[in-house]
Amino acid sequence: MNYLSRSRTALRPLPYLLAVLVVSMITFGLWWLREDLTLANFSLIYIVGTFVVAIWLGTGPSLLAAVLTFINFNFFLIKPYYTLSVEDPREVIDLLVYLLVAVIASQLAAYARQQAEAARLHAAEQNVLYSLSSAFNQLTDRANIVQVLQQRLPEYLPVQDVEVLPQKVERPSEDKPTESFLVLQAGQSIYGTLRVTFTAVPTDSQMRLLMACTVQASMALQRIQLAESAQRSQSLEEADRLKTALLRAVSHDLRTPLTIIKTSAENLTDLHDRLPEAEQLEMIRTINQEADHLNKLVGNLLDMSRLQAGAVTINRHWNALNEVAGDVAAHTWQRYQAERIRLDFAPDFPLVLFDYGLLLQAVSNVVENALRYEPPESVVVVRGETDATEVRLLIVNHGPTIPNNLKAQVMEPFFHGKDGRIGLGLAISKGIVELHHGRLWVEDTPGGGATFILALPWEEAPESTE
Amino acid sequence: MLILVVDDEPQIRKLLQTGLTGYGHQVITAATGQEALTAVAQRQPDVVILDIALGSEPDGLVVCQRLREWSQVPIIMLSVRSGESTKVAALDAGADDYLTKPFGMEELRARIQAVLRRTAMEPASSPTAVIHSGALTIDLANRRVTVGEQEVHFTPLEYDILRLLATHPGQILTHQTILSQVWGSDYRDMTHYIRIYVNQIRQKLGENPSANLRYILTEPGVGYRFVEPDNKQ
Repeated sequence: MNYLSRSRTALRPLPYLLAVLVVSMITFGLWWLREDLTLANFSLIYIVGTFVVAIWLGTGPSLLAAVLTFINFNFFLIKPYYTLSVEDPREVIDLLVYLLVAVIASQLAAYARQQAEAARLHAAEQNVLYSLSSAFNQLTDRANIVQVLQQRLPEYLPVQDVEVLPQKVERPSEDKPTESFLVLQAGQSIYGTLRVTFTAVPTDSQMRLLMACTVQASMALQRIQLAESAQRSQSLEEADRLKTALLRAVSHDLRTPLTIIKTSAENLTDLHDRLPEAEQLEMIRTINQEADHLNKLVGNLLDMSRLQAGAVTINRHWNALNEVAGDVAAHTWQRYQAERIRLDFAPDFPLVLFDYGLLLQAVSNVVENALRYEPPESVVVVRGETDATEVRLLIVNHGPTIPNNLKAQVMEPFFHGKDGRIGLGLAISKGIVELHHGRLWVEDTPGGGATFILALPWEEAPESTE
Repeated sequence: MLILVVDDEPQIRKLLQTGLTGYGHQVITAATGQEALTAVAQRQPDVVILDIALGSEPDGLVVCQRLREWSQVPIIMLSVRSGESTKVAALDAGADDYLTKPFGMEELRARIQAVLRRTAMEPASSPTAVIHSGALTIDLANRRVTVGEQEVHFTPLEYDILRLLATHPGQILTHQTILSQVWGSDYRDMTHYIRIYVNQIRQKLGENPSANLRYILTEPGVGYRFVEPDNKQ
């Protein structure tokens, strides 16, 4: 339904017919009772009728009613009946005064009605603008604004086509009165042109509403633009910080394995005929080891910078965290050739939406870190838990407890652990988990040790059918 | 055995050639997709090792597709990206397996062996009616599954998934392949079905990943593969 579809200017016959009908009915009633009532009764009842017409049907019909009642009064109710002449000259004064009062009263009543109508229109406009601006406020994308405009404008206004042109467009020369072009502009920025095609020539109030909507849309577009540029500058700042840390890391942590590889290779080239075979083999093994280390480091650095730059795309599917934990446990066995992890999951542990590859990396890093500090006589426990809002993975280590002031720091990029090598693993895990709108934090294990808790928001998985 | 190595990096070609020759294989190389197609036609290698990003047209995926139009030669694709979509694309293009750079020679050699073993038994389309893997025995003729001495009962759907995986040991089956083979092609997007059923199958089989006791291996974001028979991991 259109709130504002009632036309102000069109001359429609129905209200006038209704006015005639009302006056005729009153006249008929009064004519029936003309011998029992006085002149004063007639004029009062007619005035009430004119009032009703004015409030109900507006200015034009009420004027018609005033004139018609004046004529009917004279014709049917004042002696001699059925003529327009008047027996008693004093009654002429009565009739004229009646006409004057009827006209004034009808105009006042119609004016009041107009005011009420205007207030109703105004309230409707306010409602429209309010709902539009609250719809806009939830949006963060330009395309969505256009979508909301296209969806909502036909609800408020009699329009058949809404389109946003990408640049500023002047109204084309062949002028179609049903078409409006409004520039979406806020401050110095122009966001395009709104082209609206009405089903009929729009009224002033409809145009006013459309313009107000345009202003709202422009403001929303400006807000989105400002938010985007704020975010850009924030990620630039973040990238800057990372670059500094990266340079520090490159100077030490990357150079060390490179130096080892380089000197070993040089030694092998220059001294291969003089070195005993066992020593040569040892050097080759070192090169291999350091290359692996370097490869991992470079991979971590790349992952970290991609995460920080927001360049990681995630493929969220319904996946099982217990499956991820199982993979990590199997890799751990392959690495240590021993059972270093105990898994603890309910048989019906629920599925959650996440990117399997990314979560595998996140959990591997946390588990690897936990294993590094796990005493040889105990094992790391990986346990699944759920509550109303989250699905959690607890990685329980029984080594040293992390001091409270370091609990957040251990997950910062380039935090230096006790072995002096840069730590990126936990920072990457945290980045990945946060990319999934989850959380990663550390608590104390009862009896000593660190428990890392990885929590993902829980949504009900679709049911499986057999 | 004749191996064709296709990579645009001369260093990598040289290294792979040296490494694989050292293991007693004969190696030929190609630097572009066009060269690769010609080489397969003329020399008919036993295995093709094909880099996905060749830096020129046609790239690795296209070469793989074109080869598959007329050749069944086993193809192992190499990629620097660990992106899952690339892996799925490689398998969809007809590759038998993939490896992410950097990799060790040992791993490459193992993959070559596995691919050759699979293609060698494929013509008969696994005539064995009984599959053994560790303690697991699947009697295909009688639809009976035992772990050790214990018979394990599966629902028809669970059994179908297990049979599909077990009859393709060592081969990656994508989620889409499993869904369309077991459920039908209308279910290609319902990967969560597989997650739930594989979890149940694993529990019934008594897998213990902590001790590396596994029958079904997860290929992150791509699919699953059944362990090689009597050759865990």
